[in-house]
Formats: sequence, structure tokens, C-alpha cells
Amino acid sequence: MGVSWSNNNRRRRRRNTYFHPHPHPPHLPPPYYYPPPLLPPPPQGYFITSTNPSASTSTTTSYVGPPPQYYPNGYTANSVMLHQQPLYANEGGSEIHASPPPYIDHQTTKKIRNDVNLHKHTLRLYVDTNNPDHHLISFDFDALYDGSITIFYLAKEEEKCRFIPLFPDMFEPITFPFQKGAGQKFCQPSGTGIDLGFFELDDLSRPSPGEDVFPLVICAETNSSVLGASPHMQITQAVLEKSNSIGPFQVKVVRQILWIDDVRYELRELYGIGSSETPDFDDNDLGKECVICMTELKDTAVLPCRHMCMCSECAKALRFQSNKCPICRQPIEELIEIKINNGNQ
Amino acid sequence: MANSNLPRRIIKETQRLLSEPAPGISASPSEDNMRYFNVMILGPTQSPYEGGVFKLELFLPEEYPMAAPKVRFLTKIYHPNIDKLGRICLDILKDKWSPALQIRTVLLSIQALLSAPNPDDPLSENIAKHWKTNEAEAVETAKEWTRLYASGA
Repeated sequence: MGVSWSNNNRRRRRRNTYFHPHPHPPHLPPPYYYPPPLLPPPPQGYFITSTNPSASTSTTTSYVGPPPQYYPNGYTANSVMLHQQPLYANEGGSEIHASPPPYIDHQTTKKIRNDVNLHKHTLRLYVDTNNPDHHLISFDFDALYDGSITIFYLAKEEEKCRFIPLFPDMFEPITFPFQKGAGQKFCQPSGTGIDLGFFELDDLSRPSPGEDVFPLVICAETNSSVLGASPHMQITQAVLEKSNSIGPFQVKVVRQILWIDDVRYELRELYGIGSSETPDFDDNDLGKECVICMTELKDTAVLPCRHMCMCSECAKALRFQSNKCPICRQPIEELIEIKINNGNQ
Repeated sequence: MANSNLPRRIIKETQRLLSEPAPGISASPSEDNMRYFNVMILGPTQSPYEGGVFKLELFLPEEYPMAAPKVRFLTKIYHPNIDKLGRICLDILKDKWSPALQIRTVLLSIQALLSAPNPDDPLSENIAKHWKTNEAEAVETAKEWTRLYASGA
């Protein structure tokens, strides 16, 4: 019975820092961001603990270091990311030389504000009715500031999140300005589309082997009102598929990237957060409760599988029993506690 | 027993089991030990156990939900993954246990095991061998045992 998951034992274990659970999870699944492989090797042999593990109010909170501009009151995208460096704050806790987790790393989250967000599930490619050989794109997006959208086809990512089209003769990147506002719909004007007939379907349906060239790249850029501030970009990379090589193209977003203050973040979604979740394998409403104690609200996600499924106390307890995600049984590399604050927007 | 220290999870699970029982499954806690459940599973339709009422016992160890519940058939059953002591060969009760699983999901899995015997991962070698060499006859035996021991009388 049951399904076996692959179990590539074993990488290192880490430990992170926990925050207070917050009573109001958002309705939308908040993405989180993390910079790709910048993590230094984890320190060994100690971790943070709260003075009174039984009381949920005593968990350690350590927002250490990040500059204040990372904490705007009205950040919009419910975005959370890992701090780049592990933090070793120890607030009233005691260090324990623990035997079960051999390698421990404190990982705290910080919020960044995403000034422009393309809703990846709304991205469509459709035929230009005035120009049936050509395709246009449309999508919904939110923007905190004015900015512009640039469309690339078969574009290679260069350093510093710059994009270069491989075939500029086929389609010169095209830029459209937009004004700030939430819930906007972008429809590419007729006559500005691309004739995809020049390309092999195989080239359109997948990224290049190194994942640096994507068939469709949309770069949304905002210019903050702060003078001299560097622009914020959100890049959406997608492939174009046809089922059985016929029919209309389906757009599949493979990756979204944020480029903020010269740091590149990849955007990933957390699973198991928010009220729109479909019921889990069990029929119970597992939307908000920790799957372990079924009492506290979930506030801790497992990496790399991204299952947001536990409260911080249970996550701590779990680490002494198991290194597998309760939902999918993949090895746990990190736990991140995510303090969701949607109260004062 | 230390029922006063019962974790809220167990109380919630018990309440949900009683208020919204899964089809063909009933589980109620013992009066003197809230960690001990009397369980009944109806033999699934289209299985050799159809028409049978199977009694089981389920115990939640102190470590639950970090450790799996202990479950055992009390009713005699002819099944390649259940031995004569009623012990069950089911991965989620052993190494595939996850604290996200619950009493309800465990019992549903056992119910599914009745529908889909797996002689390739046997607990009763003889029954598994029987199943693999002559499935029709093994199924007949299972039906016979169901009539004899699980008629609910």
C-alpha cells in the first residue's frame, strides 16, 4: 500500500528561527522569494530555542540586520523571502548541543515589496484577429508605480537580469508603458505580435538546456517615485506548448524572477496556505490548522518541497523525530517560519 | 488513565470521527482510555470481505501523532497482508507514517487494503502463496472466512 517517494539521503539538516504565529493568514497564496544559492555553509552543532518551549508566545523572533526599506507598511504581494545570511540571534534562549539534528542553520525571513506583479495564471497567447499569422499576449497585473512591460521571444538571460533576444530579426523586443494600479489587464495591441511560424515547436516548448533561454520572457519594470532608486523588475519566463502539435498555443509559466536592488530572487509559491486551497488528501479542512496538532495556525513551511503545513511548535518537535515533510515525505532541508501580516495594509 | 492530559488533536479527531464517520467505518474511544478505540470496518463491496463486519482495535501511543497508531484486527480474516494475530502489513503504519495522517486516514487505508490485497508484500506467507498460485481459490477461502468469522453475529 501507499506510495514511495524517492529519498535521496542525505543532505544537511538545518534549523531556522521561528516567529510568533499570526492569526490572520491571507486569502491569496503568498509567494516567497529567495535568492538562489547564496547560502553559506551552515554552522554546526547549535540552534536557537525558546526559553519555554510549551508556550507559543515565547518563540524567538529575530528580524536582524535588514535595512528599513525592506519593511514598508503596505507591502503588497504578501511576499516573504529568506534572508541571505543565516542569523544567530538568541533572544533569551539557551544554546543546546543537540544530538538529533547534526547540522543546524538559522534561517529567518524578511519581506520584500514587489512593486509589479504579473499574475502568472492569467498569461495567454492568442491569434491577432486582424493579422492571423501573428500572436499577441495578454495578462493581468498589479503595479504600485508607473512602469513598462517588455516582451521578448527566445531571450537569453545575461548578467544583472538583462535579456537578449537570440533572433532579433524575427522579433525585436517591444516595450509598452503602463500606469500604476491594481488589477489591470494588459492586452498587446493588434499589429505588434509575432509570427511564431518561423520557430520549431520544440524550441518554443522548452527552455534551453541551461535554462537561460526561454521562448517567452516578459519583463515588467517599475520606476519608484524615490529619486535615484533602482528600478524593480519582475521577469516572467514561459514556454509555449501545443497539445499534439496542433491547436492553439498554451502558455506555461516556468519561472518568475524579481530583480530588486541588484539582487535576483526566484519566486516560488507555498503550498497549503490560504482559504482557496482544495481539500487535502483527507476531507478535513486542513486550510489553516497545523496538520500535526490540528490546533494552532500553520506558520511554518518546509523547504525544498514548499509545504506550508505546521505551526512552529510542532515543527520544532518534528525535527527531533523525523527529517521528512509530513505532507510529501521529502527530506526537510530547512524550515522557515513565515509571519504573515496583512492587518495594516 | 491520563485522559485529562489528552492532546487537543486526539480530542478533535475523536469528535470528528464520531460526528462525521467515514462510510463503512466506525471508531469510538473506550470509556476508560481515550487512546484506545474500538473500530469496525465493513468489508468493501466487490471484495471477498463484502458483507463482513471486521472488528479492530486501535491504540494511540504516547508519541502520537509523531508515531503511528497501533492497529490490529480482532476478527479473524484471510488476507495476505494480515497475519493470524491480526497484525497488519501496511507501510503507513510503519516507516511511511507521517504525522499528517490521522486515525481516519489510517482506517481508510486499511479498508482499501481489504479491497486490494497485495500478495507481493506479504505478512502471511502461506496466504500470500495461496493468493499467487490460485487466486480464485484464495478468494473463496477469504469469502468463507468472512462468512464464518465476520458475519456480525
